[in-house]
Amino acid sequence: MATAPLEPFTGVGLGLRHPHFQAVAERNPGVPFWEIAPENVIGDGGREHDRACRALLRDPVISHGLSLSVGGFDPFDAEYLEQLAEFLIFTGSPWHSEHLCFSSVDGSVTHELLPMPMTRAAARHTVRRARELKDRLPVPFLLENITYYAELGESELAEPEFLSEILDGADIGWLLDINNVYVNSLNFGFDPRDWLLRVPLERVAQMHIAGHEQWGDLTLDTHGAPVIDPVLELMKWVLPRIGRPVPVLLERDNDIPDLEVLLAERSAIQEAYDEVMAAPARSPHA
Amino acid sequence: MREDSVLALQRSLVEAALMLDPAPLERDPAGFAAGRGLPRGDQEAFARFKERLLVYRNLVRSDLVEPVERICYVTRALMEQAGLWEDCLAGFLASRGVRSAFYRDLSATFLGWLAATGWGRERWPFLLQLVHFELLNALVARHPGAPPPPGLRAGPRAGDRLVLAAPTQVVTYQHRVHLSTAAAPVPEPGTVHLLAYRDREGDAQWLELTPATAALLLAARAASIGRAALDLGLADPSEALELLGQLQAKGAIAGFTPDLPLPGRPSPSAA
Repeated sequence: MATAPLEPFTGVGLGLRHPHFQAVAERNPGVPFWEIAPENVIGDGGREHDRACRALLRDPVISHGLSLSVGGFDPFDAEYLEQLAEFLIFTGSPWHSEHLCFSSVDGSVTHELLPMPMTRAAARHTVRRARELKDRLPVPFLLENITYYAELGESELAEPEFLSEILDGADIGWLLDINNVYVNSLNFGFDPRDWLLRVPLERVAQMHIAGHEQWGDLTLDTHGAPVIDPVLELMKWVLPRIGRPVPVLLERDNDIPDLEVLLAERSAIQEAYDEVMAAPARSPHA
Repeated sequence: MREDSVLALQRSLVEAALMLDPAPLERDPAGFAAGRGLPRGDQEAFARFKERLLVYRNLVRSDLVEPVERICYVTRALMEQAGLWEDCLAGFLASRGVRSAFYRDLSATFLGWLAATGWGRERWPFLLQLVHFELLNALVARHPGAPPPPGLRAGPRAGDRLVLAAPTQVVTYQHRVHLSTAAAPVPEPGTVHLLAYRDREGDAQWLELTPATAALLLAARAASIGRAALDLGLADPSEALELLGQLQAKGAIAGFTPDLPLPGRPSPSAA
């Protein structure tokens, strides 16, 4: 599996979001790397864009996309892929990640991460699409496990097997979103640690961590609240089993607080990360 | 299972999210799935996850509507006064016209849908102009820009042509939509010429122009300022030059360039 060297992409980074562009453009407040959606930069302009670019040129950046609809059937937009390639070179991102989902059908874009049917046909199809992206992008390509609220149609595979088939079949890295695993475990009633024992942790190149919220009897992956302790504990449980200092990214996309609040949360997660990484690695199945 | 079955499932979920009336899905989710050719196992899954499929409907609609509501807040206020905003959005979503991967394009897509369908135009003849003006501010603020042609001068001379800054637009409306607010969204009728530009701080601004100034700004892009002023009946261009210098200082004009023959245009001496 082709992955870029981790340095300087280790530790706990932060999603670079619009309300913080100005502060971050002025100075890096001690964040080892930023993550940004290329869709929020490509083709944009103006003052806020210039501020974001200042930070992106100065600091380590990881690219995380929202719109490729990897599991969908619409052809990839060649012009966008060219722009994305330029963006990846411009930012020096070590890889580009996307979500294991579809978001458009027949050219109609939903701007939502919609769940794939967990079937062998869907896995085969996604493997082909992921391989195509892997071939067309100038950096390694990762897929992220998403939060899902419903199974789309009758499932043939459990999520860990579905995910493994795609990652192995396309021979790509994995962006493990630990909050998504946790949220899915609440919504579908499984043990997240058991789930993590059934997936190819050796393919993890990056992790996401985030907060979620309750909506009736459903837990929603809103990225609109602080990370809760059980999710942090899950991160601490899985990191030694991955056995490498993969970068962890704190996501916050809704109810975005002041930068200082997010920096404090990032520091707390970094402390937990450092504590875990100082301990010996564990066997993935220990 | 074949891959066309995957596509059929994806189409069904997007239809459930965007269709005008969710009643068929709420009433009989298995029947909804059957009606889209999905096999029994998939029909049962639709029945089992009915409530959560409706969550996806909410999520998709919220994702698509939020950027429109953020930019077109006066339009929203206008339609909410008539209790029609939700109807309008539902029609827009059901058209499935969003094709862009960029959030920032959603409001332009909304404007395009209003223009193509004529939705609301009979009731609000100014509707397209209102949405256009709301969008204009965002477009100017976020215009990706372009490097100005080389050799531009800062100060205008009568023999120069002007070059607008890349984000700058000169627009004409038949209603005074630039004065509409969420509290008073209905504009007065009346022709208005606006210069929309990005100031030196990067903020979108607009200036109301006299008809003569609007004409000058358009004409002096293709001919010399002196010629354009003369055509507008101004024998002495000094006032025009002063005004253009001020607009350049504000950031609306990129600069000035000698009125050399353009490709395909005869030089003055050859005329």
